[in-house]
Amino acid sequence: MSNPHRNWHAFFLPVAALCAPSAYATDYLTVAQAQAQMFPGARFAEATLKLTGEQKDRIKAASGMRQRWDEQKVWRADKDGKLQGWLLVDEVIGKHEFITYATAISPEGRVTGVEILSYRETHGGQIRDAAWRKQLVGKTVADPFKLDQDVQNISGATLSCRNVTDGVHRLLAIHQLYLKG
Amino acid sequence: MEEVRRMRPLLGTYVEVFARAADAAPAVDAAFAALALAQQRWSTQDPASELSRLNRDRQIAAGRDTLRLLRLARRMMTASSGAFDCTLGSGSVQDIVIGSDRVRLERHAQLSLDGIAKGYAVDLAISALRRAGAASGWVNAGGDLRVFGDARLPVVRRELDGSMRPLGVINNAALASSRVNDEADDFPALIVGAPHKGVHSVMARFAWRADALTKVAANTARADRANAVARLGGMLMEMQ
Repeated sequence: MSNPHRNWHAFFLPVAALCAPSAYATDYLTVAQAQAQMFPGARFAEATLKLTGEQKDRIKAASGMRQRWDEQKVWRADKDGKLQGWLLVDEVIGKHEFITYATAISPEGRVTGVEILSYRETHGGQIRDAAWRKQLVGKTVADPFKLDQDVQNISGATLSCRNVTDGVHRLLAIHQLYLKG
Repeated sequence: MEEVRRMRPLLGTYVEVFARAADAAPAVDAAFAALALAQQRWSTQDPASELSRLNRDRQIAAGRDTLRLLRLARRMMTASSGAFDCTLGSGSVQDIVIGSDRVRLERHAQLSLDGIAKGYAVDLAISALRRAGAASGWVNAGGDLRVFGDARLPVVRRELDGSMRPLGVINNAALASSRVNDEADDFPALIVGAPHKGVHSVMARFAWRADALTKVAANTARADRANAVARLGGMLMEMQ
């Protein structure tokens, strides 16, 4: 099918490292940046919801998802005196991941954007294989690669975004119940 | 030059796009639009997708990208002697009839493109970045990733025991990984026999090929695995 003798090492730099990071974290957007991107030119007013137990029950009944937080961060976006929509910021906690994300909802209740604000993934620590770890000790790093910089996770099993998509459904229910005019 | 890095939920996972361009934000948006279109067309979960309609209606009119994807899948199935298999159940490549503007399925063949579509979507997103003027960047769809230009992406892989293993730094190549636990439900498209337990990572020039070859790796015995992947244009990343 193609050349089996291709030199792959031009495309791949083996890493010589003394340790693996215990956590992976990236911040993509602040709330202010997400606001500006998702509702360009709009003015924002904080409209945080403080939810009672009964309200949380209604959210669960409407969306099928448990409302974990007592407070839900909401901003109302207006432009030239006209409602543009709502920006909701939410957090989800998965088995290995902790994610803060923003959802933009139109006045009619359509999702117009979802952006991850920050992504954190953790794990139980050390390089697993003692023999492999021994190979690395004493080696110099030929390429200036620091493991405490951003390191991409490539989980062997695809990490599902179910937590956020479920969260978005829950936020839509919140909009329907408590934000829609 | 500006740099923009964003992550959105898509293709059932979290997808990160990075672009370095004179005007990077529209390039990133174009990449995500390409990924969203791919999901709309080839998702097995969505009953309205082109793929679902093909499985149901047995024939569809299809655009260039769908035709190309199906040709790549069919060719890989043949070339790998079925170690990569885009049919569910007892289908064969002969059941997938690809015309100049349509596709037909014969007999009872049902298709799943789960083993190749995500990689192909990554390739389409990279093309979108380039067309939008990005000089360098990457697209990482939950581990199916490709890097272009002078961008260098350090990669780490989650092993079966949950630990993280640094794999290295990728430049101008694609990388995909598949994990096989004890459960066979990681792989919707299987040939006879169970895939081999482990985490299998493959490098290739294009993400569609890296993606497809992780299935070949998982379905090939360890002694033959690296050769099988190399014969099909990829490199198995073997870790001791």
